Amino acid sequence: MKTLIKIKPKDYKVGDIVKVDFMAMHPMESGMRKDKDTGQIVPAHYINEVNFLFNDKMLTKMITWESLSVNPVLTISLKVSGAGTLKVLAKDNKGDNVESSVAITPKG
Amino acid sequence: MRKLSMCTALCSLVLCGMLNAEESMSMNAADKAMYAEMLENNPAAMDVAEGEDMFNSLIGKDAYAKVLGVKVKDLPKTIAGFPRMVKVAGKVVTLSQSLQMAAADRGHPVPKLESNEMIKMTAHVKSLANGLETNIDVKADKQMKEMAVLGQHVFEERRGGRGLSCNSCHSPDIVGSRLRMQALPDLGAKETASAATWPAYRMTQSVMVTFDKRMQQCMKNALLAELPLGSKEMVALEVYVTNKGKGNTMQIPGLKR
Amino acid sequence: MERRSFLKGFGAVSACAALVPSIVSAADEAKKVTGPNEMSVESALAAITGGKPVTPSTKVSLSAPEIAENGAVVPVKVSVESPMSANDHVKAIHVLATKNNNVRCANVYLTPANGEASFATRIKLGTTQDVLAIAELSNGTFLSAKQNVKVTIGGCG
Ligand code: HEC
Repeated sequence: MKTLIKIKPKDYKVGDIVKVDFMAMHPMESGMRKDKDTGQIVPAHYINEVNFLFNDKMLTKMITWESLSVNPVLTISLKVSGAGTLKVLAKDNKGDNVESSVAITPKG
Repeated sequence: MRKLSMCTALCSLVLCGMLNAEESMSMNAADKAMYAEMLENNPAAMDVAEGEDMFNSLIGKDAYAKVLGVKVKDLPKTIAGFPRMVKVAGKVVTLSQSLQMAAADRGHPVPKLESNEMIKMTAHVKSLANGLETNIDVKADKQMKEMAVLGQHVFEERRGGRGLSCNSCHSPDIVGSRLRMQALPDLGAKETASAATWPAYRMTQSVMVTFDKRMQQCMKNALLAELPLGSKEMVALEVYVTNKGKGNTMQIPGLKR
Repeated sequence: MERRSFLKGFGAVSACAALVPSIVSAADEAKKVTGPNEMSVESALAAITGGKPVTPSTKVSLSAPEIAENGAVVPVKVSVESPMSANDHVKAIHVLATKNNNVRCANVYLTPANGEASFATRIKLGTTQDVLAIAELSNGTFLSAKQNVKVTIGGCG
């Protein structure tokens, strides 16, 4: 699972509230779609849990479902309390999981 | 004469009951703003990031600039001018083809135009020109002039089972009408900025698609024979359509329906 | 006959089915494969609130397009007015697509460290329907907002 984390805006200070965008390349199969070629139903395959941690402390926990779009994008806010690491752990219903992280580096 | 034939094509669309002016189903300003905001979180950004790694390991800016015969610092404005004549190729090429040349020049296996690797690299390299205006020059040399003429011909030639041409749906007389709910886009207009926004993520397909591939999709939809990627006709078409929207701001990857 | 082939040329039928699964037609077959994920608004609400009342409130703002260009990718943004302090914050934002087979889209559990109660994503909508956002506050109450999203049949091609 490929992922990307973006912090917006790029420059921020301690005390600012920034947006955290998490994107993942994932088919988000609903389990209802028929394969065009085989006619078989494609089994459900979707990201079902995403955890955002700041300096290893839970910031936001998400339970997600197959109604999210293919290649989902999830956006939350973070109040910058200081420098550190924002980590995102994502997991899907087949047990695939991925950890990605980005440095939080406030200016001033 | 041409006018007449275009009208026939148009009428066949109308008779199909597919062309109408469904104003009530078009988006309001707030909806448009929401979709515009989505551009900032384009899933294709992941592809572009991957393309960057691939480009740096396979080619790199120095080697690429050398093949194009320009300085590294001039890469962005050169990139904003594709398709263009590349001396060492001796012909007009698309940006993807120039990457193929650069890969070959470095002794690497040449990625196919339709390969994921090429699509991602193309998106990354084009994105180096983001913020610049497209500056294709169809009068730059004999070869470009020729390609622009051929491109216009391909654009206007009625082919396939329905006798349609690109112009049947994308001529100034018809753009803005709706075909099965979809507004027919003016390919050169700022809002469409066609050449400046592909490769783009197609929301209906959940993948990033290149400009030439997008044109192939139109051919397929309209039952025109598909021109192969990289063929002279396809490159010429890209020249012609890119020139329609010359001066639009590069914004790669785009986000399209 | 003519019309049919034209439609087919546009991939209208096949592409749509692939992208935005038609809930009605596929539901029966889907049951065999993904049974447990089907969930109605009533059951989802009960699971979220434990039967407590949910009050529509202007404190919850939900933005989604009135008309979705494409049912497979519908942007949704939720924000809730809240100081996000230790004593007074939004504990969770739940997003439901009320007519999808499984109405749940995301359950988002926030903390004061978020600084503001906001969540945005993109969802698939199989058909025209209400999108519902529910905010769970730290005092145990539930607020909500909803918006109708029209999904045009042209969501393919
Ligand atoms: C039957 C009508 C029809 C024909 C013929 C047609 N197109 Fe299109 N084209 C469309 C429609 C409708 C769209 C927009 C679809 C959408 O919004 O998803 C489109 C979109 C496009 C786009 C993407 C525009 C953007 O968003 O940047 C390009 C490029 C394009 N067409 C090129 C061509 C070319 C080149 C040809 C001829 C080979 C052609 N089209 C023939 C109907 C047509």
